[in-house]
Amino acid sequence: MASSFAPDVSPPEYSLEPLLSLKGVSKFYGALRALSQIDFTIQPGEIQALVGDNGAGKSTLVKIISGAHTADEGEIFFKGKPVTIRSPEDSIALGIATVYQDLALVGTRDVAHNLFIGREPTRWGMVDRGKMVAEAHALIDLLNVDIPSVDAQVGKLSGGQRQAIAIGRAVHEGRSILLLDEPTAALGVKESHQMLSLIETLRDKQKAIVIVSHNLLHVFRIADRITVLRGGQLVGSRRKTDTTADEIIRLITGADLL
Amino acid sequence: MSASTEHGHDDMDAVEDVLTQALNEEIVAGTDRRETVWQRILASRDMALTAVGIGLFVFFAVTVPETFLTSTSLLNMVRNVSLIGIVAAGMAYLMIAGEIDLSVGSTLGILTIVLGVLVSRHGLNVWLAAGIVLALGAVIGAVNGLIVTRLGIPSFIVTLAMLTGYRSATLVLSEQRPWSGSGVGTFFDITGGTIAGRIPWVIVWMLVVMLLASIVLVRSRYGYHVYATGGNLEASRYSGVATGRVKLLAFAFTSFLCGLAAILLFGSLRVAEPSAGTGFEFRVIGAVIVGGVALTGGRGSVYGVFMGTIIIGMITSGLTLLGLSQHYADVATGILIVGVGAMDLLVRRAASRRLGFLDA
Repeated sequence: MASSFAPDVSPPEYSLEPLLSLKGVSKFYGALRALSQIDFTIQPGEIQALVGDNGAGKSTLVKIISGAHTADEGEIFFKGKPVTIRSPEDSIALGIATVYQDLALVGTRDVAHNLFIGREPTRWGMVDRGKMVAEAHALIDLLNVDIPSVDAQVGKLSGGQRQAIAIGRAVHEGRSILLLDEPTAALGVKESHQMLSLIETLRDKQKAIVIVSHNLLHVFRIADRITVLRGGQLVGSRRKTDTTADEIIRLITGADLL
Repeated sequence: MSASTEHGHDDMDAVEDVLTQALNEEIVAGTDRRETVWQRILASRDMALTAVGIGLFVFFAVTVPETFLTSTSLLNMVRNVSLIGIVAAGMAYLMIAGEIDLSVGSTLGILTIVLGVLVSRHGLNVWLAAGIVLALGAVIGAVNGLIVTRLGIPSFIVTLAMLTGYRSATLVLSEQRPWSGSGVGTFFDITGGTIAGRIPWVIVWMLVVMLLASIVLVRSRYGYHVYATGGNLEASRYSGVATGRVKLLAFAFTSFLCGLAAILLFGSLRVAEPSAGTGFEFRVIGAVIVGGVALTGGRGSVYGVFMGTIIIGMITSGLTLLGLSQHYADVATGILIVGVGAMDLLVRRAASRRLGFLDA
């Protein structure tokens, strides 16, 4: 069903019920078919990498899950129950966090406040700064990220630290699915490695993670499953242990057709 | 990488080794971005402002010691800027939230005339009239806020229109003549009077307003949301902050304080003048900017605005004592505003150069 171009698609077998599954999802932009009959599942405690060339439909797929776009065809199930995602609010309500590096942060405020914006704990009508700082410390320790101080102004932190805060916020809100769009694209070597470690920490905490990445090295380092899109179709989904870089590259480029 | 090694990704492992080595070198050579205590103190606007305030005090204390360094002169200096300080406390909220109210002078004017007319022409009880003026102030601000947040018209435009509109309304309402109050009774004692014949009540009012405003801004959830809204509107909205309501309340609070200033002005002068509050917006916004509130929003403190108010007061009094008029003080305030803006830019440029990116 997924594709007639790639006969070697083998649906992965799981004992766990998928957290989120998309069945036969399509998206059109006018006459252009951006996504075609996609079947896609997100499993708890799994890091799934979404790879593909430019224009393959990765962003469109992520946007449908995050509620930025609405699917034109197909069904979405959350823990087996049919749901509709028509807006970012719908997506957030399902416990899905889409982490963009700077979207959710206030550069002029400190780390502690940024982890709690809109949900500041209060005591006797005033913000309970002590509780906020204590929970911020606990969260930073839990995620094992390198943040100099919870009092540091977020605008003065590096891109990786800011992204870690954005992710920490999503985790603290109790979101179960994290969509990370190119989490290492803007980061240096050291920060990329720290980001990958953080993502691995999240898997150990039973979060479901989807990362969109162009960096196959990073993908092979952390992903449990690699899903490949090409020309708006899902052309393959492989456990990392069952595939090779050559096969993934072949799926991305469609070289087997040449 | 064990999984990929099993599958023979030797080339990938080699790349990984190179990356790991580069990573280790970077860790060794890595610079620590933690700020030292001294950098923090130097970067603190409140500290810098305090230093400027002390510097000005010393300057006038040395140049005109016999007139500047008397308790009467110093009390007068603070008294003269008390109404500026009161409204500046509200303006600080507004500007930190990323908005501005250019109409505070005209709002002060119309509220003063409303108070004078109610008391003088209609013989209304002065306390009741004062209550009406406070409520009317809050309503005027709420209207500004509604137009800005619901219709999406920039506050600069909306309040510029209000500046002219309220001034004209004031002239119509006042019949272009002053309206006097009796000048006797508790109302006039605790607004225009002095404590123990010495300390003007307006100074007490300013200190109380600024103290409360400071506590609420720094400690309350609303205060946190004011900073967040001005710091990054989209992020705050995305995080569940009711940014429209935050701004609306800040507009209402600022105009409410214009009402309080109108009451204190009427109580002090015992008369409501149609020209009351002309040029007031310049001094209020000047105090807020000199006080270190960023025009881009998201930064600032009520303490800084207090220092900004006192600095403007010292310049005005000091220059007067040196034989120069209020006009020179306004010129000096203007220069100070541009100077603060330039310094702010230089500090941020230096910071961005040090960190390698421009701070939001």
